[in-house]
Order: sequence, then C-alpha cells, then structure tokens
Amino acid sequence: MKKYVTKRVLMGVLTIFVVFTINFLIIRLAPGSPISTIMGKDNDDPLLRAALEAKYGFDQPLILQYFIYLKNAFSGDLGLSIIYNKEVLSIISERLLPTLLLVLTAALLAVVIGTFMGMYAAKHEGSRVDVFFSGISYMFNSMPAFWLGLILIIIFSSVLGLLPSYGMINSRTSLTGVDYYLDVIRHMILPVSTLVLVEIPIYFRIAKSSIVQTLNEDFIVTLKATGMSERKIFNKYVLRNAILPTITIFGISMGYLITGVALIEIVFAWPGTGDLMLTAINQRDYPTLMGIYLIMSVSVALVMVVVDIIYATLDPRIRF
Amino acid sequence: MVTSKKGLYVGRNENKKFNRTLLKIKSDTELKFGLTGLTILVFVAVFASLLVPFDPYFFGPDILNKLGENQHILGTNHLGQDIFSMIIYGVRTSLMVAVGSALISAVIGILIGGIAGYFGGKIDLVITECINAFMMVPTFFLILLIIALFDSSITNVMIVIGLTTWPSNAKLIRAQALSIRERTYVKSAVAMGETNLQILFKYIIPNGIFPVLANTTIGMSNAILTEASLSFLGLGDPNVISWGQMIFMGKQYLTSAWWISTFAGVAIVFTVTVFYLLGDGLNHVLDPKHKSRKGA
Repeated sequence: MKKYVTKRVLMGVLTIFVVFTINFLIIRLAPGSPISTIMGKDNDDPLLRAALEAKYGFDQPLILQYFIYLKNAFSGDLGLSIIYNKEVLSIISERLLPTLLLVLTAALLAVVIGTFMGMYAAKHEGSRVDVFFSGISYMFNSMPAFWLGLILIIIFSSVLGLLPSYGMINSRTSLTGVDYYLDVIRHMILPVSTLVLVEIPIYFRIAKSSIVQTLNEDFIVTLKATGMSERKIFNKYVLRNAILPTITIFGISMGYLITGVALIEIVFAWPGTGDLMLTAINQRDYPTLMGIYLIMSVSVALVMVVVDIIYATLDPRIRF
Repeated sequence: MVTSKKGLYVGRNENKKFNRTLLKIKSDTELKFGLTGLTILVFVAVFASLLVPFDPYFFGPDILNKLGENQHILGTNHLGQDIFSMIIYGVRTSLMVAVGSALISAVIGILIGGIAGYFGGKIDLVITECINAFMMVPTFFLILLIIALFDSSITNVMIVIGLTTWPSNAKLIRAQALSIRERTYVKSAVAMGETNLQILFKYIIPNGIFPVLANTTIGMSNAILTEASLSFLGLGDPNVISWGQMIFMGKQYLTSAWWISTFAGVAIVFTVTVFYLLGDGLNHVLDPKHKSRKGA
C-alpha cells in the first residue's frame, strides 16, 4: 500500500513537471520573443522589459532559464497579468470559489443520478427504460456542453421566462441572508443542470456495464444457488464490486468537468475562472491564460492522485 | 439460408472469416447506424457545393431571416449568410478536423506505443510513465493555450489536437505489442534475422492496430467537439465555416434569432453521435468476447 501511494504521488509530481515543461516550451516556441509573450504584444516599456529579462534570466543559457522558470513557478509566482496589473495567482484564486461551487455541485449530482440510472438499467437490462436511458445517454454524450447551455437558456429563460440566464446574483437587487443564497441557487440551476446532463452519461455507462459484468460472475451464481435473496445479493455483493470503477471515472471526469465548466461559465456569464479565461483570450493576456492552464492542470493531477489512493484503500486487489 | 451459406464456404477459411465479420456488422445495431451516418456525412461533404441552395460565403441582403423566409430553409444570420448552406459546408470542416487530427494522433501513438511494447524493459518503463503523465494533463486547456499563442488556422487546430491526444492510442498499441511479440511468428522472424524495424512494421503494428481503429473513431468525435469549443471561444479559423463558430456568432442573437446557434449544434450532435456509434460498433465487432444481445 505504501509503495502504491508513493508511486502514485511520484506520478502526480511527474505530471506537474510535464505540465510546467510544456508551458515553458510553449513560451519559447510561440511566435515573437518570449518577453513580448509575457509582456503583452502591444506593450513596449523598456523598464519592464529589463526587469523581466533579469527576473527570468533571458541572458542565461536555456537550461538555466528553465530552472529559473521552475523556481519562480513553484514559489507561486505565475507572473503579472497585463490587463489587471495584479499577480496572476491572486486573480485566479479570487475567481476559484464560484467555479468550485459549480464543479462540485454538478459532480456530486451527476455521480448520484448517473449511477442510479445505471443501476436501474442494469437490473432491467433490455427493458424499455434501459433502451431509453441508453439512447439518451448517447445523445447527451455527443452534445457540446456550451450548446446545451444555450438551448436551456432559449427554453427556460427566453421562452418560458422561468430562470435567470446569466450571472451569479441579480445585480439589480441587493439581497441579504437567506434571500441572497436563494438567488444564487436560482442562478445556479441552469449551469449546473447543463453540466449534470453532460456528465450523467459517463456515470450511467460505467455503472451499467460494471453491474452487468458483476452479475455474470461465478460467485453471484454461487450465491444464487445458496438461496440468498436477489435483493441481498445485489446490495451486499454486486453493488460493492460494481461501484469501484465509478470512483476511477469520478477522478477522470473531474478533469473533464474542470475544463468543461470554463465554457459553461462563459455561456452563463458566471463570474468564475472560465469567464476570466475568455477575457484573457480576447485581450491576449497570456500570463493569465498560462496561469489558468497551470493551476487547472495541477488541480486535475491532484484530484486524480487522491482518487487513485481512495480507490486503492477500497479495493484490496489493487495494492501491489 | 444458413445451410446454403455453410455449404458454399466449406474449406474457404478466409472467405468464411470475412463473411462472419460481415454478419457481425449486420447484427450490430450501433455499427449499422454509424456506417449509415458516415455515408451520409461523406456524401454531403463531397457534394457540398451541389447541395447548397445559396453560397454560404455570400453576405446577402436577407439579414436575420426567419425559417423559410426568402427561401432560406433554416433562416439567415446577422450577415445575411444562409444557415442551411453554412451547415452543409460545415460538414467539410468537421470531417477535415476529425480525420486530420485522428491521423496524426494515430501515427504518433502507434509509433511510440509500438516501440514501448515491442522493446520492453527500460524503454517501455520510461515511455509508459510519460504516457501516464501525459494522460493526466487536461488536453483542452493545453490546446487552447497553444492555439491562442500561435495561430488559429484550421491546420493548426488539427495538428495541435493530434499532438495532444496520442497517449490513449499509444497505450492501446503498447498492450497489443506486449502480447504479439511473444507469438511464434514474431519469434521465427527474429530467428530469420529480420531487423527490429522490419518486425515492428510488418508484424507488430499490422496485427495490433484494431483497438486503435476503434479508439480513433472516438477520438474523431472528441476532435470535432474540441474544434467546436475552440471556435466558441473565438479561437476558430475565421476563413472557414465551422459549426462552432456559428454557435459562437449566434450566441449574441440567442433571443432574437435562435436558429443560428441551434441548428449548428444539432449538426454537431449528429456528427459526433455517428463517430461514437462507429467506435462502439467497431469495438463490439473486433472484440470476440462481446456477444450482441437483443435489445441491449
């Protein structure tokens, strides 16, 4: 177990190194000098240029530059945003909370709903409900999440006028206390639903296929032969074995979710990192863009390592 | 029917195998739908210029026409372009991105994975760890960053998607190579004095390529979604018509002209579904363990 955990943690560290190395290479390879990439194309302040040159050691050999870059990055210095004239790290961390709110709510809802749908479909394989669920899951799996978001806006905001289509709070009113939170929830409904609808198929499929697979295992037949009730077999033996892949998928899909949420935030003008990203793209604010890429990649790596360790503690077979 | 078929193919193993595959294709619903859809898409892409009622690049006087207004079946956008014609031309862009990026991804993946699996040992260890590390990097942000920094031409989009999605292919072919290199025909090739390179390209890769094929079709659907997402962020190629860009442009007119975004999205859903179905179907047909169940 200890060996496995060490291996996974090392893997995570390696990933983070890969991420930073790729970023370093991208700055090098991008058209124009790396300085103008960091400074912004329209900026030509000689003082800033000199300061940046000294900071990143552009007069040093390439390999040394790489280590200077790593040192800066690991001490939390991701550079300065051109637009906001603030530390990239602080800008991103300000926007992280609304993003996390969306991601975590959606992930939990999707895993619960998707798994229950999968369980039902596996129990009643071949039934009309199963066919319906499978068909629907194909469809939502192929949908660009941002487009689904737009369609939900058309239906629920534009046509029916039920839900707000943008923002996190209604800026025209100044609500406090419970009303404030209710307003946030009202604004969350559409973006969260979009994410949940797109994520459900992943959990549905994995839950269904692993339950069907477990049901066909020999030990289930044996248990049936002992006369144990189907319900007990299902709850006590099938579910425990079949739920494990869901945990792995949870880690992987968190990666997708963290990516996907950026687009959804843009659709719903949700004040999170995705919104920040769009501004950074439009204004060519490369340090912010790179900062978002780095922070997102590191968090995905972290989530995956944690999920793998959780998986290993739950499944004794994996501790090799 | 069955008996006559049996009688026909006695002793003709190759033919029998081929027919069995055909039979499998016929019995696999997913593959059947996928192939039909693909045929439609390819047809539309090839004959796009004959199928369109208007020139999709023509900025006409009919601005924000509703469905059916002035013979525009699906209306027009804010620049007076015909939505239906744009969607038809968009098939080309999507298929191009899908095929181009999938090819790049497959070639890189096959080479790296094949080398890792065939040579084994330390080479394999290093490559596998690198593949695992790469698989944990969220590719979309990486693609986005590169496209934002470099240039957002459709060729670039294709190359970058290809360059970032090869690890899953590499993993598949590596697993195949690990088992194939232990087969007798590889061992006899070694004994015959064939070089490693010959063995890799003559035996390992051709015999281990099938899982990559199925994975590639799924990679194609992801490529289409990625291109659409990039376009939606305003990072699309402004010189080509793409569905993602149509959604991006239609976003501003969502309440007044819903048809701009909606139909482009429907086209994406259709195309991506086709590739998903193909991938799943191929997996079923190529996996001998899979028995097709009725209704499942």
